[in-house]
Amino acid sequence: MRPFEYFRPSSLKEASELLVRYGDGGHLLNGGTDLIVRMRDGLTLPSAVIDLKGIEQLSRIREDEESVYIGATVNLNQVGRHETIGKSFPYLAEAALSVGSKQVRNRATCIGNLCNASPLADTATPLMALDAVLEVFGPEGEREIPIRDFFVFVRKTSLKPGEIVKGVRVTKTAGQGVFTKLARRKEVDLSMVCMTLLKAEDGWRLSYGAVAPTPVRLPKTEALLNQGAALEEVLSCAVSEVKPIDDVRASREYRLEMVKVMLKRGLEQIEKGGAVS
Amino acid sequence: MSKLTVSFILNGEEVEHETLPNRTLLKMLREDFDMTGAKEGCGAGECGACTVIMNGQAVNACLVLAPEAEGSIIETIEGLSDGTHLDPLQQAFIDNAALQCGYCTPGMIMTAKALLDENPTPTYEEIKEGISGNLCRCTGYKKIVQAIQSVADQNRVGHGND
Ligand SMILES: Cc1cc2nc3c(=O)[nH]c(=O)nc-3n(C[C@H](O)[C@H](O)[C@H](O)COP(=O)(O)OP(=O)(O)OC[C@H]3O[C@@H](n4cnc5c(N)ncnc54)[C@H](O)[C@@H]3O)c2cc1C
Ligand code: FES
Ligand code: FES
Repeated sequence: MRPFEYFRPSSLKEASELLVRYGDGGHLLNGGTDLIVRMRDGLTLPSAVIDLKGIEQLSRIREDEESVYIGATVNLNQVGRHETIGKSFPYLAEAALSVGSKQVRNRATCIGNLCNASPLADTATPLMALDAVLEVFGPEGEREIPIRDFFVFVRKTSLKPGEIVKGVRVTKTAGQGVFTKLARRKEVDLSMVCMTLLKAEDGWRLSYGAVAPTPVRLPKTEALLNQGAALEEVLSCAVSEVKPIDDVRASREYRLEMVKVMLKRGLEQIEKGGAVS
Repeated sequence: MSKLTVSFILNGEEVEHETLPNRTLLKMLREDFDMTGAKEGCGAGECGACTVIMNGQAVNACLVLAPEAEGSIIETIEGLSDGTHLDPLQQAFIDNAALQCGYCTPGMIMTAKALLDENPTPTYEEIKEGISGNLCRCTGYKKIVQAIQSVADQNRVGHGND
């Protein structure tokens, strides 16, 4: 690993100032399961590593009557085993527990999963379906970013220099949802395609991962589902709304086929009343 | 780049140690503390050979930076036996011949230890799932699961069959 300075600030302000001071060389360290692997492979060469885990206020899950808020440094096992998340958003809990191994999830965070902005980030599709909101701290103060506006491209988010995600907020929504992850192995493998299908009070919500440069919502397909269109029409619309590529894990053709299969099965499951996949 | 002092508890002993930040906890344990039980298999979180217990949770030591150890409690395979008596898991691995080359064993045992600390009486399925972050190239896993199962069974008897 190339040399760098390590910082463990205890406030967001301090962390943000360090980020600004080091510019492109400053990298936030959360669970490190993406960043440390990239540093080891020489893909990211930080001049400063700014560890967020010393900032107390980021380490908790909070909830009130309307919403649940996951702090930036909360790990994926904590998300997956949280009582309210398990009850209100079982598909989010399931997505969290589908990442890596137990050891990886004891370090990896949900916010790191989002900020890493991989097209296959497993916790992204449930949060997209839930219209989650990211709470952000930056040099110019605080702001909120709806998750739809957060992912810009592969590994690129709409965060500005010096900005840090404090946490992600989801509104408690009545409804049934299904998370499906298709991978080559049952454990410790990345998604070839992942999907969240949610039947909320105000209609259907559908999102996919690993079929475009960012995780995506499929608004046209959602509209067809809301109109009660025929299954064939719904499925071909879904395929028209994604742009998968060939890569080491799967071909474009296979992914397109799986987009249909996963949606069809998801619809069947929700019809049967199964809230969890 | 400046050296940092990290203070943490390693196998029950308080340590204060100087290290450069650009290395992993795994490297620091192996090179500075001569604790070579935890192994580097993949160095990227995939194999579990480097598993240690940090604040009660199994983690891949290859994905933790040395300075992140500050203020933590670290347990490694070296701390399991008291020098005379083996931990029940260590004994069970011997009794069940749950190893061949042994490369995966320290990580496997630490993962199993974290699992049993959390749930002393896991089912067969829970054990299989619990060790799914640890790869073994030799044994085919069967005997490893059996070994852990045998300790779970002892615990079950101890807990009055709950
Ligand atoms: C063996 C293995 C298996 C894996 N399997 C999966 C899988 O199945 N599915 C999956 O989706 N991923 C998987 N991953 C990838 C990774 O574990 C996840 O993406 C994880 O959630 C990242 O979180 P982290 O806290 O470790 O992020 P880090 O590595 O700490 O950070 C990731 C990126 O986000 C930035 N960042 C972190 N926190 C913030 C913040 N608060 N504000 C702004 N930027 C921030 C960092 O600077 C960095 O660029 C796997 C990784 C490994 C090593
Ligand atoms: S060496 Fe750490 S998981 Fe393989
Ligand atoms: S005993 Fe050889 S890798 Fe497991």
